[in-house]
Amino acid sequence: MRILTLLSLLAVTSVLPFDRAQAQEITDPHAIAKQAEIAAYYAGDDGRSAARMMITDAQGRTQLRQFIILRKDHSDGGRQDMLVFFSRPADVRDTVFRVAKNIEREDDRWLYLPGLDLIKRISAGDKRTSFVGSHFFYEDVSGRGTSLDDFELISETDAHYVLKATPLDPASVEFSHYEVRIDKNTMLPLKSRFYNAKGEAYREVEAVTIEEIQGYPTVTHSRVKDLVSGGQTEMQFRFTSYNLDLPDSIFSERSMRNPPTEWLELRD
Amino acid sequence: MRLLLIIGALLLLQFPATVAAQDNTLDGDWGDDWGIEEPTGVPVYGFVEAAMGSRLSSSPYHQRLSLAELRLRLGSDYTWQGVTYTAKGDLAYDDVAGGWKGRTRELNAQFSLLDNLDIKAGRQILTWGTGDYLFLNDLFPKDWQSFFAGRDDEYLKAPSDALKTSAYFDWFNVDLVWTPEFDSDRFISGERLSFFNPLAGELVGPEQMTTVDKPSGDEIAIRLFKTVRGTEWALYGYDGYFKSPEALTEQLVPTFSGLQVVGASMRRPFAAGIINLETAYHRSTDDPHGGQPLVPNSQWRFLVGYEQELMTRFTGGFQAYLEHLSDYSALLDNLPAGQDEPDQNRLVVTSRLTWQNEASDLTLSFFTFYSPTANDGYLRPTVDYRLNDHWYIAGGLNLFFGEQQQTFFKQFNDNNNLYLRVRYAF
Repeated sequence: MRILTLLSLLAVTSVLPFDRAQAQEITDPHAIAKQAEIAAYYAGDDGRSAARMMITDAQGRTQLRQFIILRKDHSDGGRQDMLVFFSRPADVRDTVFRVAKNIEREDDRWLYLPGLDLIKRISAGDKRTSFVGSHFFYEDVSGRGTSLDDFELISETDAHYVLKATPLDPASVEFSHYEVRIDKNTMLPLKSRFYNAKGEAYREVEAVTIEEIQGYPTVTHSRVKDLVSGGQTEMQFRFTSYNLDLPDSIFSERSMRNPPTEWLELRD
Repeated sequence: MRLLLIIGALLLLQFPATVAAQDNTLDGDWGDDWGIEEPTGVPVYGFVEAAMGSRLSSSPYHQRLSLAELRLRLGSDYTWQGVTYTAKGDLAYDDVAGGWKGRTRELNAQFSLLDNLDIKAGRQILTWGTGDYLFLNDLFPKDWQSFFAGRDDEYLKAPSDALKTSAYFDWFNVDLVWTPEFDSDRFISGERLSFFNPLAGELVGPEQMTTVDKPSGDEIAIRLFKTVRGTEWALYGYDGYFKSPEALTEQLVPTFSGLQVVGASMRRPFAAGIINLETAYHRSTDDPHGGQPLVPNSQWRFLVGYEQELMTRFTGGFQAYLEHLSDYSALLDNLPAGQDEPDQNRLVVTSRLTWQNEASDLTLSFFTFYSPTANDGYLRPTVDYRLNDHWYIAGGLNLFFGEQQQTFFKQFNDNNNLYLRVRYAF
């Protein structure tokens, strides 16, 4: 069983070292989706970024969230460790969210509540629910596994692929399908529109700004819109850096109670 | 205990004002296009909270008002040369107690001494174990008065003045907590909430409050822990005292007798949720064979819990918890004449149902304790609403029920209350 897993990981990695020239040749929609997942969620071997979100509700009232994300990949498209350290607003200050993203089983998730010094284990839940009160879902932050959907290439231009994704388990999600436009040059998803059973678009996730950081095309500003209510959340990333050589050991209970300050210093 | 506080305060004073302009690690400069003010220097955060609570029926022991306070929390933390200093304190006007009170909640310094060794010294909040509102191996002080009166959950945990050393190895990790001077629970004393006093054989309130004989010795708590492929394992040990004055001196003054605890726990994903198992043996060191009628017996504790998302944004958690008295026949043989026979087993089942709305600003929770052995229980429905990044409203009920006045939950029945809190956080 373990050997099989290893072999499948090797198979995935051999497809990789992501090459833009090669990328333009892909015709298999699943391979396109996988490349887009890797470009969006697995840049470098590890990474750090400060992030903040501006949440605007349908009445125009705004809220702010601010946090730092540390991430380390075990293999591209495979297992991944993530720590999210919140600094704003005041009520979530010093709260830490930890995810161990697994491939063959549900992700492990923990939340550290500093007021009680409590490390709470969170049961595997619906990942398409609000991430800390924003219009982003947990799944938008950690990535939706490409094995969960069936992909179809519905159009292609010199610059873009457009895929239609249909969930394999429709009962597990709120959409009936989504369409995603992927940039051929960077392989980053530029815009995803989610449709309900009536075929109406009700949700849109968009990469607003893409910058090249250490050679990796990186979304530094994204936006999700609730097309029904009119609410939206903007997310910005700053101080992003890759290949920091984050030690495996920091992705642990220790860092939740005692944050690894040397890896949280923000410098460009 | 004061010594640690003083050390903490000196450490806080020691860092020079000139470093105040240094970037705060977690904020940084966004060079802003959102018009958001970035904090400079040492951040100060906290909240102002007004809380009101009322008993549901009049009590012969207390006024109707169960909670009436205005609270200011101020906190700050700062990292300098690898040491993180944290200070948090509350200043509150408490109309039930009739006066102002100030309390330091945290005052500590945290740093890594070696690559794999962390120290946290001073006043701090400490928690471990796997239970939800049930504690087998967590012998850190709890504030039951706050919990039953409707203060924020955070106040269930009272601070410890302690030195915590954490060491991390390949095979396991260790937390060692030394509390130089015993910190008891903020137990139900009759001051704010009436309870059943077995000595008096009746419910008692503030009029009947007695002095308590508190030991001055230290406490040591240890945890060995490791997570292996998603399964969290832990072993625990404790040497100190019962956290509430359950024993009596020969002069019949309530006191805290000696306690040693060993235990273990496991927590892991199971089916669609999370399962946890925990056990502990509480050894009554002043009465190891159960023959002392004034000192509680040793006890086994067992817990099994399971939590799962039942529907989107609706989670259910369930626990079964057993307390089993050791040396039960010795206890019966030495029972003073006229005193009721205690049950050998106390079983408690709990459930926690939590629902959150789509915007996750409204949370409804319903926690239930029920003991089939004592036929009593405690219901704890709560509502939390977040208006924006600053304003929060919380409300809830504390409802105790049962058949017999002396059972654990039923004894608080006169204190059934409804509360509301409004908070402005900054």
